Amino acid sequence: MIGLLFNGVWSQYAFAKAGKYQHLYRLLYIHDLTEASLQGLKAIAVPFQSNQAAIRERKGLIYNFLKQGGKVFVAGDSTADWLDAQWEDRPVNNYWWVKDPNNPPVSQTDYSHPIYEGLSARHACWHTHGVYTRIPEHARIVQTNGKGEVISWETNHYGGTLFVTTLDPIVEHGIQQITHLDHYVDKLTEWLCGVKPEGQFEMQAADYGVAWEND
Amino acid sequence: MIKAAVIDNGIVGLRESYLDQPHVQYDFLPTHQATAPDFSPYDLLVVPNGTDQVAMYRWREAVQGFLNQGKTLFCFDGWFTNWLPGSQWMADNSKKTIDIRYTLKSDHYGLFEGVDLDHFIFSNGISGWWACGYIQPTPNAEVVVADTWGRCIMLLDEQTTPGTIFATASGPLGDYAYGTTDDAGSMEGLTRLYHNLLTKLIKIPVS
Repeated sequence: MIGLLFNGVWSQYAFAKAGKYQHLYRLLYIHDLTEASLQGLKAIAVPFQSNQAAIRERKGLIYNFLKQGGKVFVAGDSTADWLDAQWEDRPVNNYWWVKDPNNPPVSQTDYSHPIYEGLSARHACWHTHGVYTRIPEHARIVQTNGKGEVISWETNHYGGTLFVTTLDPIVEHGIQQITHLDHYVDKLTEWLCGVKPEGQFEMQAADYGVAWEND
Repeated sequence: MIKAAVIDNGIVGLRESYLDQPHVQYDFLPTHQATAPDFSPYDLLVVPNGTDQVAMYRWREAVQGFLNQGKTLFCFDGWFTNWLPGSQWMADNSKKTIDIRYTLKSDHYGLFEGVDLDHFIFSNGISGWWACGYIQPTPNAEVVVADTWGRCIMLLDEQTTPGTIFATASGPLGDYAYGTTDDAGSMEGLTRLYHNLLTKLIKIPVS
């Protein structure tokens, strides 16, 4: 099971409730997160549109999870308050595939990484949310853009594996406007928990118009 | 001067989307507290795109109280929890974005004056960029914009509560839409519609 840090954002919720992922991801509302919330999890996913200030207040939980050998996946933006790296914003180009299809936002990818192994270039990048202008000395670069700026990086320095990217696979897959994201997200999920998701991304009407189940 | 409160769950780009202007001033209310903030000083409550819908559910009684005072709620997000009085947003992935078109159904306040609806349909030539899913409107509500399949995408409800509810099916409105679009027409459209909402829908009591 993967814990999905949850900022109450609908796309994060829609992803975790989708038929093919609901048995693999557990929503962990960030303001209710405790040590007990992380018990028994194989991995933590921190999606785009997270509450960086709230994560900073609980960063000890994340680094303790890493220390115990867990995997942590961080997507989109972040702050140097809890991650030893510097994220910077950049304009989001989500139409390159129409206007300049030979110039995607990521130009170099290490396809030997288990998340990317077997993915096509198109499936390895749809758009990015900023870049990393500084990463830890112990980190390995996995993806860069055409300017050589870092998009994805990884380190084992903290015990387990910390993978960080400015891609936004979970939020974007929850939105369901990009039709090919199953490729990336299924590889990501398998890497995080060892189980390859199967089936369709089904949205159930019964999951909408609900009380918050943990209340 | 409109005094507005924006629900703030700390996502990137949020604060740049609502900028103080001579006719409107914003406070940002963080979502880390379990108890609802005091909405009483405000004329307008903005629930922006990407909001914490768990917090909104926990604060639902305070929102109802705010609307009972005859004040105005803008919701530009997909409210999967059932805190918004009357109507309900639903996620849906059964339609292709390439087929999405919008139609203006009703607009007696002139909210679309100077606004080109095509700017909400196409961004950089790609359709279906703006809203997601649809709204199940209460029968009391006015459907302002519907999609290709006649589903409610933009709603005005002045009947369910003493206040005014304007909601979109997760279509962002404001001074900016971080990461959503950089198409000049789309940016102009969503900004102009937002400021039309401010000038035409907000009822400020004469003091």
